[in-house]
Parts: sequence; C-alpha cells; structure tokens
Amino acid sequence: MNITTVNKESGAVVRLAGRFDAHEVAEVRKALDAAQQMGGGWVIVNLAGVNFIDSSGLAALVAGMKHCRGENGDLYLCELRQPLRVIFELTRLDRAFAIFGSEAEAMAALPTPVAATHA
Amino acid sequence: MRMPDRPPDRPDTSGLRLAIVTTHPPGKGSLNEYGYHFVRFLRHKPEVAEVILLVDRLPDGEVYEFEDHPHWAPVHVIPCWDFGRSDNALRIRSAVQKMRPDGVLFNIQFASFGSGKVPASLGLLTPALLTRMGCPTIVLLHNIMETVDLRSAGFAPNPLVETLIRQSGTFVMRQLLAADLVALTIPKYVEIVRAKYGATNVVLAPHGAFEEGDQDAVAQSAAPATGPCWELPPGPQQIMTFGKFGTYKKLETLVEAFKLLQARAVPQATPIELVIAGTDSPNAAGYLQSVRARCADVQGIRFTGYVAEEDVPHIFGDAAVVVFPYTSTTGSSGVLHQAGDYGKAVVLPHIGDFAEVIAEEGYAGEFFAPGDAQSLAAAIARVIDDPIRRQRLGAQNYAASRGLPIAEVVDWYLLHFQMLIEQKQRQGLVGAGAV
Repeated sequence: MNITTVNKESGAVVRLAGRFDAHEVAEVRKALDAAQQMGGGWVIVNLAGVNFIDSSGLAALVAGMKHCRGENGDLYLCELRQPLRVIFELTRLDRAFAIFGSEAEAMAALPTPVAATHA
Repeated sequence: MRMPDRPPDRPDTSGLRLAIVTTHPPGKGSLNEYGYHFVRFLRHKPEVAEVILLVDRLPDGEVYEFEDHPHWAPVHVIPCWDFGRSDNALRIRSAVQKMRPDGVLFNIQFASFGSGKVPASLGLLTPALLTRMGCPTIVLLHNIMETVDLRSAGFAPNPLVETLIRQSGTFVMRQLLAADLVALTIPKYVEIVRAKYGATNVVLAPHGAFEEGDQDAVAQSAAPATGPCWELPPGPQQIMTFGKFGTYKKLETLVEAFKLLQARAVPQATPIELVIAGTDSPNAAGYLQSVRARCADVQGIRFTGYVAEEDVPHIFGDAAVVVFPYTSTTGSSGVLHQAGDYGKAVVLPHIGDFAEVIAEEGYAGEFFAPGDAQSLAAAIARVIDDPIRRQRLGAQNYAASRGLPIAEVVDWYLLHFQMLIEQKQRQGLVGAGAV
C-alpha cells in the first residue's frame, strides 16, 4: 500500500492507495498518528486509490478518528470508491465520519486556523 | 497553529453509563464468553463512566466478581432475569427504569432467554419495550432464524413445528427490529434481514477476536515466529472440541471418528486423545452424561466439564486441532475466533455460516461432511498427521483473529451509541440518563 502524507495549513492529508487490510494496518496507524500531530488533530484521509478495505482497515480509521476527536479535531474521509461506500453503509460508519466527494471539499470543511493572539 | 475547540455541532457524549443485557461468567449461559470480553474492554474505554450489567441470576453460592481499577469504568451488577422465565422482559425493563442508563446493549441470540418457545420469544420483546421508553437500544444478535436449520439444530422435531417456529420467528424479528439498531456479525445476515423485513436499522458489526491484537504480528504473519507457540505439549495429540453441547453441537459423529482414528495402522503415529471441553447446552440438559455413558468403553476420551476463564488458554494451547462437530450453525462462532487467538488449526463442517466466516474473515480449516464419521476422521488426520499443515492453518487463523480485536469492535458500538444519543438529544427525546 502506498501512503503519502501532506501537511496543509489547516490540517494534514493522508493519501492511501492499494489494498487496505490487516497487513497494512500497522503502517497506516503510524501515518495517521503522525498526521494527527502534524495537523493539530485535523486529518483528511483520501481513499481514492483504495480498492479494498476490510474490518481492520475500518477499525484503523475509527481509531484515528477517535484520536483526532480526543484532540478536539476530526478525521475526514474523501473520494471513496463505490465498493468502499458499500462497506461504510453496511457498517453505518458512513454516519460516523464526515465524508466528502473530493479532497478540495474536505479541505474547505476544515476549520480555519485561528490566528495566535497576543496579550 | 491553534484550532477551535470542540465543533459546535458535536454534543458531548463522554461519561457514558451503558447497560448490557447479557450472560457473563461465572454464569454458564450461551454467549457468556462474548459478554465477558466485551465488558472487559468496554470498561477500558475513557468515554465510559459506568457499565451496568443486567445479567441472569446465578445459582446459590455463586457471585459475579469484578476487579476494581482506578482507570477502568466500575461495573454495577444487577442479576435481574432467569433463563426460562416468561417475565424477563418486564424485570429487565424495571431494572433499566431504576438505573436510567444512557443506552442499553443486548448481547443475545434467539434462545438467550429460554429453551421454551414462550420464554425465549417473550424475552426477545425486551428491546422493543426499552425503545418505546425512549432508551437508546442496540441489539447485537448473534444469529438469525432465517439461516438456522431448525430441525438439525434440534429446535423443531417436524415440518409443522418448524413452520410455526419460523412464523413466530418472523414476528419476533420484527419486534427486535423495533430497537434503534440491530447489529449482525455476518454480511449475509444483514442482506437477508434488510431484504426480508425492509429494515434500515440493521448494520454489520464484526464479531472480533477476544484477545488484544498485535498488528505487527499480523504484518509479519507470513513468518509467524512472533505468534503463538506452535509446539505441542508432550503426550498424546489432543483433538479438542469446545462449547455447549446437545442441540446442534453433537458428539456422536466425533466419537465415531475418534474410534476410526484410533483403529488406524499408521506407523509411528503419535497417540491421540479426544478432549470434550464444556457443558450441556441449556436446551439439552443431560446430553453429555448420556454421551459419556455410551462411550464408557472407549479409551482416550476426556470430559473436562465447565472450563473456567483462567483455564481456557491451557485447553486451547494444548490442542493439536479444534473440531467443530456441528450439525447446523446458528451464527458466527466465538469458538472459531478463540481457536484463531491461540493459533490452532480447525476442522469444520461443510455447512452455511462457517464457509462464510472462512471466506470473509480469513480463517482456514479442513472440512468434513456433517454426520459422516469417515469424512471427519479424514479431515482430522490431514491436520494431525502433517505438522507443517497444522502450523500453516494455525498461523492463518492466528493472523485472521488478530485482524480486528474485540476492543476495537467495542469502539464501533460506542460510536453507534453516541450517534443515537446525539440524535435523540436533538429530537428532545432523551436528557441525561436515557429513561
């Protein structure tokens, strides 16, 4: 599986490509942890390149989302292919995540960074 | 960079007080093992403030015990129902009214509340009662009537009774679907229930493995040196079966297969032992005693009786192979997940659910034709006569079981509860404490 992480002003974007199953989960979790740190708790996971996800892959995303929300951030998903949409609907996790059609839409939904205030 | 605090559209649902209607050790009812592990991991979750256990009452002299820990949610045990009683729904409702949890989870199958059709059916009306009270309610249903061979499973002696049971099963299923959410463990079950009942509140929630996952071990599972010990203890190879026997888990064919294996003339074959671990099904009292009497003259069979939680690792760890002598299946198998936890090869009947589980969850095993002792003996022999095959099957099952530990499945349920609570709060249906 290919994992690419990009740091943006409002958060971090993790782009995944390939088969997302139990054998890939450890690496994805590491990438999500790093992205959470990088993005201040705000992470977008772009799943455009993922052609398969199993329950352990879903669990990794759920864990990532919990960590982000624990930091008062969130983990957004975007660009899910139809087979992945079916899995998310079957598990009703489509209601737990904010899911966007494109990375640009997800970026636009991220909160604008608040400028540091000076005393 | 500083980000805004909690988004304004996300209500705070931390500090959850969740009730679980379940069996739990030392109670010996069906699904007690699942209940034990679910509660164990639920207590570890930081968003859970209290676990209210609505369990069946124990025989005199037995008590539910839970270790206190400063970082775990406390458990409030309320033994409020009895297997086989017809008023369980009212008693559970009363306990929920008294405790006012934020949500209630049912860990059940269709015979959880009784072996008789009346108490079993009446008990399954409980989720509907609680939902009507406004309590967020999720049912984890481990089987569905539509996929059970009722006659093979021992629930229906003839076609007329089978028809009546199926009709009442359809009625009961409709009542269960009155819960806010019904979680099923196999995708096929979700499809069946959605299609037959037009249900939109049915979701897939994987069964999960009982032990905590080791993702690094999964990543390296092609070379499972970091997994369980593949060596067997000295002495005879143990052919082990585990569960509650007498309905669809039948031992007659397994005993016959064991005798065939004993009679083989295999040079330098390791001696074998048949280990029958577990108790009678609540629906088949006296079954194991009758089997024991019938095979009293067969050497090498050991009946362990009830296996306490602390003895489970030894029972599985010492086994060369775990056999599922089922004539039917009623759902995803907790025993299969346990066999995977301990890296064991398995021998399975070539019927319904197990084939699904094997295909969808990554497990592997040898198959036999149900009721055919020759076929079963051959399947067992393919495992115990070939240590490489035995280890390969065990490694695959170990990797499958590591895929999604129950600790993570618990997170899915918490998410579902949080969404339900938020939804009901927005609709003004619940406040703090659901009912």
